[in-house]
Amino acid sequence: MLALLIVGSFVLLTITYGQGSNGLQRGVSTIFSPVQGVADRALKPARDLVDWFDKTFDARGENSRLKSELAKTREQAVAGLEALQENAQLRKLVKLDRDPALATSPYDLVTGRVIARSPTVWRSSVNIDVGSGDGVHVNDPVISGAGLIGRIASVEPGSSQVILLTDHESAVTAKVLPSGVQGVVKPEVGDPETLILDFIDSTKRVHGGQTVVTAGWRAQGLPPSLFPPGLPLGEVTKTSPIEQAIEQEASEQVDVRPFADLRNLDLVQVLTGGSRG
Amino acid sequence: MILTPKMVARIALIGLLGVLLQLSFFSQVELFHVSPDILPALVVCLALLGGSLTGAVAGFWIGFFVDCLLVEALGVSSLVLLSVGYLAGLFRERFEIHNSLLPALLCMGFTLGAELAFGLIALLLGLDAPVSVLIIRDLLLKSVYAFFLGWPLYLLVRRALRPALVEEPKLQRRRQPKALGV
Repeated sequence: MLALLIVGSFVLLTITYGQGSNGLQRGVSTIFSPVQGVADRALKPARDLVDWFDKTFDARGENSRLKSELAKTREQAVAGLEALQENAQLRKLVKLDRDPALATSPYDLVTGRVIARSPTVWRSSVNIDVGSGDGVHVNDPVISGAGLIGRIASVEPGSSQVILLTDHESAVTAKVLPSGVQGVVKPEVGDPETLILDFIDSTKRVHGGQTVVTAGWRAQGLPPSLFPPGLPLGEVTKTSPIEQAIEQEASEQVDVRPFADLRNLDLVQVLTGGSRG
Repeated sequence: MILTPKMVARIALIGLLGVLLQLSFFSQVELFHVSPDILPALVVCLALLGGSLTGAVAGFWIGFFVDCLLVEALGVSSLVLLSVGYLAGLFRERFEIHNSLLPALLCMGFTLGAELAFGLIALLLGLDAPVSVLIIRDLLLKSVYAFFLGWPLYLLVRRALRPALVEEPKLQRRRQPKALGV
């Protein structure tokens, strides 16, 4: 019996690994996603209570960090106002009247609620209560109020799986503003508050506090990026020089703190439709 | 444990509720930045009460159900949780559980083992990102949470399965029965 179960596990793993969802999973998910939705709503007060305790513990350390961030943000706000004025003038000059903040404009937004989350630290995915019936497709970008959180990995009629930025399978082409340095944002497994900006151009400098957004690469001969350009990803927290083992060339490791709180997600939005990149 | 169809249904219901509770509640709350994982502890409790085979079968199906709901590759959670269930059941069959803290300690140990096994499988299947040292904190805190949640979980599961449990003989009887007239 035990041998049968072990062999069964290996067979299942071999058949289904890297294949996305199958009929069995679709069936189970279709049956249980309404149950999960009800359980999610019923347990929300209890979750909020535990979150309140957790946030209270966190608040002390957060306070001093937020004070220094506020001072920095004030400076940036002043600089931002100047940039906006300049931007408005330039837009008039080139007769460009589209709002730059609406990088997501060709997309329809489908709002969903997180109904389940992977329990192990080695995977970082959530399930949401909207699926193909709501127009959601595989690889659609998913955002929260603060910025990009991941992409749709598989879709069922009434639910979808979202691979978060902190999952080891995640990689997003990104650029640092205002310097324009480009690279790929990858996670560091086990640390939900740090992403790593990798493969960057070492000739340009990146500084702490700079904003990282999606690059939305569209290179000839290559598939376009899954994410539209300009979606906020995070803020540079640390840069440290690293020695490239192969090329013997100095480079930088850039740590990025995601804007979205990927550990506490409730309502999210899926960007459906539109052209990629 | 005497397994009747009614008891099998009860174990299935416990597994189902455990999985739903884990995905909808425990995975979505955090204390000190770490979410508890009650599923290895639940499998340990079932194995300690039902033995190695019950533990292995329960672990397999609970893992299968989790992978189905999360739309992950089938077999990963099944393999890990069936191993947890079998080993915990084997412990129950080889050793007496005298100390009431032992189930909680086993939940703690097996949760740590399960998380390490998940990590090993992730590495074998190809982990495409660097691993932070913070993962050690996550693993240890998950184990500590399993200790505190394992104890009430064991009592609840034992209560739910009580009709099927074989009464253990008392080790020390106050009065030994004697044959009449001797």
